Amino acid sequence: MKDKIFVTGMGIITGLGIGKDDTLRALLDKQSGIGSIRYLQTIRKELPVSEVQFTNKQMYQLLNIPDDDIYTRTALLGRIALKEALQEAKIYEKRPNRIAFISGTTVGGMDKSEQYYKDFLHNNHKNHYIETHDCGATTELISKEYSGNCEVVSTISTACSSAANAMIFGANLIKTGRVDAAIVGGSECISKFHLNGFNTLMILDKNQCKPFDKNRAGLNLGEGAAFIVIESEKSVKIRGVKPLCLFSGYANSCDAYHQTATSPDGKGAFLAMKNALEQSGLKPEDIDYINAHGTGTENNDLTEGIAIMRIFGNNIPPVSSTKSATGHTTSAAGSVESVISILSLLNNFIPANLNFKEPMSELSFTPAVDTKTSKELKHVLTNSFGFGGNDTCSIFSKTY
Amino acid sequence: MSLYIFSASHISIQEPDSEKWFDEPIFYNSRYVRSIEPDFNLFLSQMVSRRMGKILKRALTTALCALKKSDIVMPDAIITGTGLGCIENTEKFLNSMIDNNEELLSPSFFMQSTHNTISSQIALHLKCNGYNSTYSHRGTSFDAALLDAIMQLELGDISNALVGGHDELTPDYFNLLDKIGYWKKGEISNEILSKSNSKGSFAGECSISFMLGNININNAICEIKGMEMFHNPIPEYLFSEMETLLHNNNSNIHKIDAIVAGINGDIENDKIYTDFQTRFFPNKPLIFYKHIFGESYTASGLGLYTAATILQKGKIPQNLFYSNYKKDIKPQNILIYNHFQNIDHTFIYISSC
Repeated sequence: MKDKIFVTGMGIITGLGIGKDDTLRALLDKQSGIGSIRYLQTIRKELPVSEVQFTNKQMYQLLNIPDDDIYTRTALLGRIALKEALQEAKIYEKRPNRIAFISGTTVGGMDKSEQYYKDFLHNNHKNHYIETHDCGATTELISKEYSGNCEVVSTISTACSSAANAMIFGANLIKTGRVDAAIVGGSECISKFHLNGFNTLMILDKNQCKPFDKNRAGLNLGEGAAFIVIESEKSVKIRGVKPLCLFSGYANSCDAYHQTATSPDGKGAFLAMKNALEQSGLKPEDIDYINAHGTGTENNDLTEGIAIMRIFGNNIPPVSSTKSATGHTTSAAGSVESVISILSLLNNFIPANLNFKEPMSELSFTPAVDTKTSKELKHVLTNSFGFGGNDTCSIFSKTY
Repeated sequence: MSLYIFSASHISIQEPDSEKWFDEPIFYNSRYVRSIEPDFNLFLSQMVSRRMGKILKRALTTALCALKKSDIVMPDAIITGTGLGCIENTEKFLNSMIDNNEELLSPSFFMQSTHNTISSQIALHLKCNGYNSTYSHRGTSFDAALLDAIMQLELGDISNALVGGHDELTPDYFNLLDKIGYWKKGEISNEILSKSNSKGSFAGECSISFMLGNININNAICEIKGMEMFHNPIPEYLFSEMETLLHNNNSNIHKIDAIVAGINGDIENDKIYTDFQTRFFPNKPLIFYKHIFGESYTASGLGLYTAATILQKGKIPQNLFYSNYKKDIKPQNILIYNHFQNIDHTFIYISSC
């Protein structure tokens, strides 16, 4: 890539905990955030999920938000992750001249709409949540964590690749000189709406999900948020901040096969990885770890696995799906798994693919189950795929 | 870098895929008007359209029409802006889930409820493996989609793009937005929206598709010179950035022939535009379009379409003047200004080819 884009800060919240430190510890200890439903009001209590272990009220307190302010759960999660990213990138001490905030979500304010929809229609006491229903409203709420004017603030909604596409838009804003830095990522709470939606598609595992296992039986939903601060080389120098790593390549491609199923040879996934590698100027053998989309559904893991085999041939680096620990955080997955990939890059470990037992006969590789690696990680790749075949791949590299 | 609009197609509350609105717009006496739909069988096979809700049929039809007019078979990128996405399918799944207490749900409405269904269904229809993305950010949803395309064209990552703005408005969602003050109270004549001094607008629906590219084809509609977006700007900063945008394109406020603005009849919304005009363009025509197309989250796409059509035809019909009416003006440079709730602001500078 001609113009270097640096990562200078990141923040994360998932079922594994709040912040990078808790997340790193949980990953090294091979913990999972997936368990029984505690917070979501639903009859589908039999479905395991990875919930953030805080009530909305507790998150209001964590953020010092007045009780009578109107927030959705997605917005609360987003603000917690954003706060950490802003702190690490020293945004307030040394403010970049021009900054953008781009967030991905699909659920938006659905957690409140599904509770109060009939109230919206038939009486007036919950009307304030009408204005928070749409995706953009959620981003506006999260952006309140950043006090100051921005250039572009916008929302991407490409289902489960939303956050990954927010990262591309932010990088292009930097490359075209519109901004010096961009805060990019996504946020999504679990809603009854998409829990039931995925359930009707019969792709939810009733047990802990088993990505890349022969007996995989679907995904577990998760919730969370993650943001990373990306920045131009010039801005990094002017602000004198220490970059964590390079955002060295990315690509978006459409599978154009089916609304909810993937093409048999994983065409969209293949093109996204191929083009991201091309853009980064790296060869497949340079990649030291693949954080797969790896939902645990029969369809995804097979076609993503085939696409990985097509790209990496006989030289497949360690592959794992951390959705076995965080659940599928849907629109936030792209940035949640980017933060996890960067943690693995900076701390030289392979996040383990939990619950794996039996290899898939169709694939030439099995997922990594051990966190230890003898090799120093220099380049890591992460995949994010969404409904409609919206496939995106991102690559992060050490700065030296 | 030069960028051009090759073609455009709309399905709106005016006659579909037609420019009749330019000289003979339909005016309504209603605060909620739904799009006039063409016979979709002329554009889509029954097998395709049977499975699609309103917004998908409209979006796919305008996309196919814009592609056909541009003589491009396969776009390099498909980028959509939508404020509410597939709200009809979303409501159907939501109502069914609430009414049946999470039982007896069918997956079809859920599958086509996500916002990116629009972009991905277009890609699926065209078998287009190129870049595909969707923006959903209130009244600047279309603007962000356009900016994405413009940046990739500037960077040379693509050489053309199909960019759309699509929103449907169901009766229920009209009512919800009515409760929080989006619409005027009582019936109004849209024609006299310019004389309104109350809160609220009138609701329309929007489906607009453009083909953009980086070469000047023979019959391009106009050239896009530059575009910038701002969030919560201090007014002085916003205005200096507007002047920088023009300056960077060898232009200045004196060379602008008209301002096209998102005036919608809401007194607070409109004041931002009229103050802007009074300060920087006191003698230039202020052009509006939402009295003809109605308000929706992606109506700004119809604003670009209105401005582009003015440049292509080289004239401004009387119906479009909000103020400073000038007879026989031949505009060549237009500044488009859109804001949403005075939070997100967009400037687009376009010129005739």
